[in-house]
Amino acid sequence: MSRITIDPITRLEGHGKIDIFLNEEGDVANAYFQVPELRGFEQFCVGRLAEDMPVITNRICGVCPEAHHMAASKALDALFNADPPLAAKKVRELMYMAFFVTDHTTHFYALGGPDFIIGPDAPPAERNILGVIRKVGLDIGRQVIDCRSRNHHVIKTVGGRSIHPVAGLPGGWSRPITVAERDEIVGVAKQNIDFALFTLKIFDDIVLKNPTYLDMVTSDTYSHQTYYMGLVDGQNRTNFYDGQVRVVGPDGTELVKYHPRDYASHIAERVEPWTYLKYPYLKAVGWKGFVDGADSGVYAASPLSRLNVADNMATPLAQEQFERFYETLGSSRINGRYQPVHFRLATHWARLVELLYAAERMLELAEDPEITSPDLRTKPGAVTGVGIGCVEAPRGTLTHHYEADERGVLTRVNMIVGTTNNYAPMTMSIKKAAEQIITKGKVVEEGMLNRIEMAFRLYDPCLSCATHAAVGKMPLRVNIRDCSGEIIRTVSRG
Amino acid sequence: MRTIVVGLGNPILSDDSVGIKVAGLVKQRLAGSVGVDVIEAYAGGLRLMEAIAGYDRAIIVDAVKTGDHAPGTIRKLSPDSLSRTRNTLCTHDGDLPTALALGRDLGLKLPDSVEIIGIEVDEVEQFSEELTGEVAAALPAAVDEVLRRCGMIKP
Repeated sequence: MSRITIDPITRLEGHGKIDIFLNEEGDVANAYFQVPELRGFEQFCVGRLAEDMPVITNRICGVCPEAHHMAASKALDALFNADPPLAAKKVRELMYMAFFVTDHTTHFYALGGPDFIIGPDAPPAERNILGVIRKVGLDIGRQVIDCRSRNHHVIKTVGGRSIHPVAGLPGGWSRPITVAERDEIVGVAKQNIDFALFTLKIFDDIVLKNPTYLDMVTSDTYSHQTYYMGLVDGQNRTNFYDGQVRVVGPDGTELVKYHPRDYASHIAERVEPWTYLKYPYLKAVGWKGFVDGADSGVYAASPLSRLNVADNMATPLAQEQFERFYETLGSSRINGRYQPVHFRLATHWARLVELLYAAERMLELAEDPEITSPDLRTKPGAVTGVGIGCVEAPRGTLTHHYEADERGVLTRVNMIVGTTNNYAPMTMSIKKAAEQIITKGKVVEEGMLNRIEMAFRLYDPCLSCATHAAVGKMPLRVNIRDCSGEIIRTVSRG
Repeated sequence: MRTIVVGLGNPILSDDSVGIKVAGLVKQRLAGSVGVDVIEAYAGGLRLMEAIAGYDRAIIVDAVKTGDHAPGTIRKLSPDSLSRTRNTLCTHDGDLPTALALGRDLGLKLPDSVEIIGIEVDEVEQFSEELTGEVAAALPAAVDEVLRRCGMIKP
């Protein structure tokens, strides 16, 4: 009997645990991914004023407060029956693009990139942002820090406060953009476009031109044929701030496209006895277990998913990269749209295509004459009783659902956060990677374990907000258990 | 000499808010004293490194949960302690020691001294704005510890 524990996984938010169960032959029988439950968020909110939710929900997590702030503001628009003026929507989206640029940049250079730039088998102490910078050059490190800094500045300017914006209101936005600020933001957006192109070039040079990495990206170990979800605009192009939720099947056929307020008609949650996590799945297809295929209601919501549901990107340079992405990975256009890419490690590339889109969209919005309009508020009307708001968070579709009485006092709160959508796909990805890497009880080289981690790191899971947890305090642990359930080995890192 | 006091944590997650509460009280007591800035922060790693860049000295106050000490125990730590406490880890980008090393590589002006005051906590999985009893009781001593380090209270 032996048992294996990876403790902790050093770059994952929150506290999670992976249990990998081996059978009598020492092969993987099951892999379970769990995170501890943080309690009482709904109770914390019920009885409070709904209008406080943009500043309450952005406290859930220190990593993507902007996404919660935006989803909450949109939920309040609906709850107070106050559709914001177009200018307010543009200002919100502008700030949101700055957030996407920082978040996707940080993920690539600090979290996903090290696996490729330093190598999947490198010691974990080197496989971090410091290792990346030491390998690719200090100048790139400065650019990463500068990119974060200038976009944090935009978020502070437009959002009214750094990190935790305060400008979102029912029906609009409280802080107009001055002409001088607009001019500065135009400059930031242009720098972001250059930086995104430069980052895609790094990905090209380091990953796509390396046959070993390209084989890894396109290997069966990291492939799953599932449904995909993401917001699209009226022309079925990727949109992070607004639109309809589109779901396509493994063959790329549209299953459904719905208004986010109807999410409960399309998404159900599966409860499993071994975890308190609830696994969202597509009602129309049904739950068939943690399995691939068009008959299984499992869906993913991630950068890769967002590209897979889109017919095109809405900006020109991102569109070029979008086409190159699908053509390089062997997908062809059928009925006007590319067939989905199922290689989960390609999510890292998809994230960079999105980085470029966010940068280009930011420039479009900054140069829009309406962006400096002071007309940013529609006066709230009577409380409708229900408000549902939805945006694409960096990690997947984020939905806030509030119910309130006629005074606007909350009576019910439900949220489906980006990471939650991906619980089932992550579980499947971990199991498949483990199956192909652990055989006959042989495991436990550092690189092998990291390859299992890579299977879920690509989703950039934010367990803290998925479980409504705090900022990155607690490690994730992987137990490998024999057929009697006994833990057979522990590997520590961090 | 410019000093920054950082209260780190999540303000709505029970004892995890202790660092932020200490920072708030320190700010009141300092009442705008020259040379000391007090901020709240919500993530470790790069964001924390970026927040303390430009200062000569940083004093970080945060919740620690090791289970090795009674809740409310005040512990004096340094970045070197973090591999054990894993406290100022922001796992979307890295831990504080890595972020500080990165900042130094990049030539950022980072504090010569980074001190961490860790307060052992109990409840960090329940949403609440309140601290549990022993942690709340440790607030005055933790505030005094920060003020002493800022030279506002005689040792």
